[in-house]
Amino acid sequence: MISTLSFVHSGAVKRGLQASGAIPSRFTVGDAAVQPTVGEPFSDQARMSCRQVNVYYGAKQSIIDVSLDIGRNEVVAMIGPSGCGKSTFIRCLNRMNDTIPGCRVDGTITLDGVDIYGKEIDVVPLRAQVGMVFQKPNPFPKSIYQNVAYGPKIHGLAQSRAELDEIVETSLRRAGLWDEVKDRLDQPGTSLSGGQQQRLCIARTIAVSPEVILMDEPCSALDPIATSVIEDLIGELKSQYSIAIVTHSMQQAARVSQRTAYLHLGKLLEVGQTERIFTRPRHPLTEAYITGRFG
Amino acid sequence: MFRKTVLFTAIALAAAGFGTAQAQSSRDYISIVGSSTVYPFATVVAEQFGKGSAFKTPKIESTGSGGGFKLFCAGVGVQHPDITNASRAIKASEIDTCKANGVAEIVEVKIGYDGIVLANSRKAKPMTISRKDIFLALAKQVPDPKGGEQVVANPYRTWQDVNAALPAVKIEVLGPPPTSGTRDAFLELAMEDGAKHFPWIKKMEKEDAKQFKSIAHTIREDGAFIEAGENDNLIVQKLEANVNAFGIFGFSFLDQNSDKIQGSLVDGIEPTFEAIAKGSYPLSRPLFFYVKKAHADVIPGIKQYLNEFTSEKAWGGDGYLAEKGMIPMPDAERKQYRAAATALKAMAAK
Amino acid sequence: MSDPRSSQDQSNRPRTIDLVNAGLARRYRAERRFRLYGLSAISASLLVLALLLGSIVASGYSAFQQTFIRLDIVLDADQLRTNNLRQANYQGLVKQSLSTLFPAAVGRSEKRELYALVSSGAGFQIRDLVFASPELIGKSVPVWVPADDDVDMLVKGHLKVDEKAESHRLTTAQLGWIEQLRDQGRLSKQFNSAFFTNGDSREPETAGIRGAFTGSLFTVVVTLLLSFPVGVAAAVYLEEFAPRNRWTDLIEVNINNLAAVPSIVYGLLGLAVFLNFFGLPRSAPLVGGLVLALMTLPTLIIAGRAALQSVPPSIREAALGVGASKMQTVLHHVLPLALPGILTGAIIGMARALGESAPLLMIGMVAFIVDVPGGFNDPATVLPVQIYLWADSPERAFVERTSAAILVLLAFLIMMNGAAVLLRKKFERRW
Repeated sequence: MISTLSFVHSGAVKRGLQASGAIPSRFTVGDAAVQPTVGEPFSDQARMSCRQVNVYYGAKQSIIDVSLDIGRNEVVAMIGPSGCGKSTFIRCLNRMNDTIPGCRVDGTITLDGVDIYGKEIDVVPLRAQVGMVFQKPNPFPKSIYQNVAYGPKIHGLAQSRAELDEIVETSLRRAGLWDEVKDRLDQPGTSLSGGQQQRLCIARTIAVSPEVILMDEPCSALDPIATSVIEDLIGELKSQYSIAIVTHSMQQAARVSQRTAYLHLGKLLEVGQTERIFTRPRHPLTEAYITGRFG
Repeated sequence: MFRKTVLFTAIALAAAGFGTAQAQSSRDYISIVGSSTVYPFATVVAEQFGKGSAFKTPKIESTGSGGGFKLFCAGVGVQHPDITNASRAIKASEIDTCKANGVAEIVEVKIGYDGIVLANSRKAKPMTISRKDIFLALAKQVPDPKGGEQVVANPYRTWQDVNAALPAVKIEVLGPPPTSGTRDAFLELAMEDGAKHFPWIKKMEKEDAKQFKSIAHTIREDGAFIEAGENDNLIVQKLEANVNAFGIFGFSFLDQNSDKIQGSLVDGIEPTFEAIAKGSYPLSRPLFFYVKKAHADVIPGIKQYLNEFTSEKAWGGDGYLAEKGMIPMPDAERKQYRAAATALKAMAAK
Repeated sequence: MSDPRSSQDQSNRPRTIDLVNAGLARRYRAERRFRLYGLSAISASLLVLALLLGSIVASGYSAFQQTFIRLDIVLDADQLRTNNLRQANYQGLVKQSLSTLFPAAVGRSEKRELYALVSSGAGFQIRDLVFASPELIGKSVPVWVPADDDVDMLVKGHLKVDEKAESHRLTTAQLGWIEQLRDQGRLSKQFNSAFFTNGDSREPETAGIRGAFTGSLFTVVVTLLLSFPVGVAAAVYLEEFAPRNRWTDLIEVNINNLAAVPSIVYGLLGLAVFLNFFGLPRSAPLVGGLVLALMTLPTLIIAGRAALQSVPPSIREAALGVGASKMQTVLHHVLPLALPGILTGAIIGMARALGESAPLLMIGMVAFIVDVPGGFNDPATVLPVQIYLWADSPERAFVERTSAAILVLLAFLIMMNGAAVLLRKKFERRW
């Protein structure tokens, strides 16, 4: 209750201050004075750190003051009702929002301490480091092999054909797809089933060896069996990558993630250990959402 | 794929640029423009010339007499035509334009005559008509039938209304549009002459040329005269289908379709080869071509082309041009123009 | 729910299924009517198409045959031993053999009528024969020479023959000779190969389509090479890279406007820019191609942009997501997907360019050109212009040749469309 009040209060004050330019956009970890979010948004082993991120579509603001870390070898799940800005937020993490006309991001997002919105930053290497899996499986209309090999090819990760074959095989094995497709690598990726297509997209993403993988509702178009395969896969992938996953399904968030963040109308209301969030939510709105009172 | 396209384009452009440079420095074929009436004759000569000699076949564009002079008089150089055909003599103003652009010496060659015929289907009776009748039947405004020196909107519906000797058939004439040289010649030779049968209109020519032209050169637009487009073959087809209709076109079309259509007798003279050659058929006009003398030594084949055109086997009485429907000139005139053409004798200033 | 009124309502109201069933017949009737409208629209257009094609084929098929006359040509060594073999009087040899066939024709005008049975191009055929095999000189060789167009028309039944001999183009004497030739088996209709191998001619029997066909080919090649890359580049830039602002809006409006500008305007532009300013040669396929490229560009750009727009954004996201640059995204993924659509646009543009004659009038491609063009700068004409010129020729035999030329143009179009479909198929299979 107290924290809710403090959130409302400090949020209002901070916006006013920022508009007048009094507060610098960079914040250090643990700057609690203007921290509205309940719980533990920060991590000791942060790969990516977001501070006071605001996103505007034209005049409309859809992300308000979000600060969050994504740690090494952890899966962070974003949950929240439709339109709360989950997708918008993770699309900021590899600057996919750059492609949307009229979209503006302010605040700071760093990857391993480097500001990814900095002037000298090139989005091409950034997206090689921060890969993305989309809601709808979107393999290229090319062969399975070409789908996986495309990233390594354009980034020059393989010196020879053999090396490329190696990368393709490893990536497909990691994505748990190798045994299913090894005999038909030259067939179009679009000929696979929905779940296979999504795993192909994951293989395509990990083929360029990113540091962070962003997943935007990766299972929403899949059946329960395909979903459970992907969820198992996410569990395995976290040993190597940091993963941020947006999901509609609270069960999925509970199954795959270590930390869960609850977004509400563009604000990050609560972040915490997944188990804690689902058992002892501190914010009343979080509680309302996870108990199914709305969403 | 994309790279290849770019490469191809670059090569094509380079080749084109290279070729252009070549083409502009010289031209190895004769370029001819001008009248659509002379076109069918000039093309025959060009073809015979091209096949029978080592030279390339001349290129002939049908631009109309006026358009031909415009191109011809634009200047000296390979990008300008060497010869222009005309169904009328060059005008003084056109000579001036030529001079202003450096085309000082022009050789005029008269090649023969063309007749304009008023024809109908062979299934109907041939008609004998005077130029006065033609004027009365086709002018937009005609002298008041009740008398007096004023014009009224054309009241005549049938040929009989015009002249009691003519059949009681609705006036229906298919003719060329205003852009056609045939139409110009028809206005000049038939309509203007017909109008002059009325003394007060004839007097007007000197006093008020503009008014005269508006009477003599304006064809009625109430449906009796139908503009049939430039395609004379179409007129022939329509005449076949409609026995009451008449058509206006060049003699060569009558000549080629004499099994389907017949020419009306104008002022009592039938449009025959002989009548036009003798000059007794009233609706005939001379045809010309003009040569740029400055080009004669630059473009290969011009002299030989002139030689071919003015040879007896081309424009003679039994020549292949006569076969195509051109009416040859009398022997003396042919001799005179052949001499002028082979000697490249430039026209005297008008 | 236990409200008695509501249950009463339930019982009084007709059941939904009854209402549905009552209206069902009417719905199906409407559906059948709708299908019938569509069907009748299609059959009406098919009928008109069949009529059009039928009339063209009916009047044009006979042009693919030509009447030939077999003559025994004596290649007299004395006559051919001139110092200039090219200039020898070959038509004279043809005339001689005709005179030998019909010795009765003696008078000057009679002889003229006799010689008129054979095409005036026959001499050139003999010349080519002598040049090809000089060993024939001195021998008598049977040669099938093309008959004059009037004879051809008579044999094909396009010429009316009645008693009044002077009323048609063949005299009684000529008709008699033709009868004799036919009886002797010297007259036959054969495949008209000259129609496909010759350039234009004023003699219908020697007139061919090859010059115009080659000219069309050169012109379309220039048009394609220029408009396709430029059009695709413009479409890609406008669709993928250009910012959306007032300038790009202005450009878009202008492109849409240009697509509707009458083609003659492009001809005037070509005259002013390419001929008068750059001094390019008149009547050249290069200039024709340039003008037609300008004309087809708007169509191509509009079609290209529509095709690019229809590529699902998920493909762009996928490519960007693995770190492809904007250009790589477009070239590797978006453009290949849009290519079938772009190709369709290109075909429509090329087909329009191929059928265009008005803009070519201004740049001198509406001309009588006998020699088959050998390059992009040679004077040339194109198929639609050839059709127009033949339709305007007085000779009767050109009527069927006009229709035949239309058939060739249609075949050219079908060829082009077929090639494009094949290309598209091939491209799609690479996935």
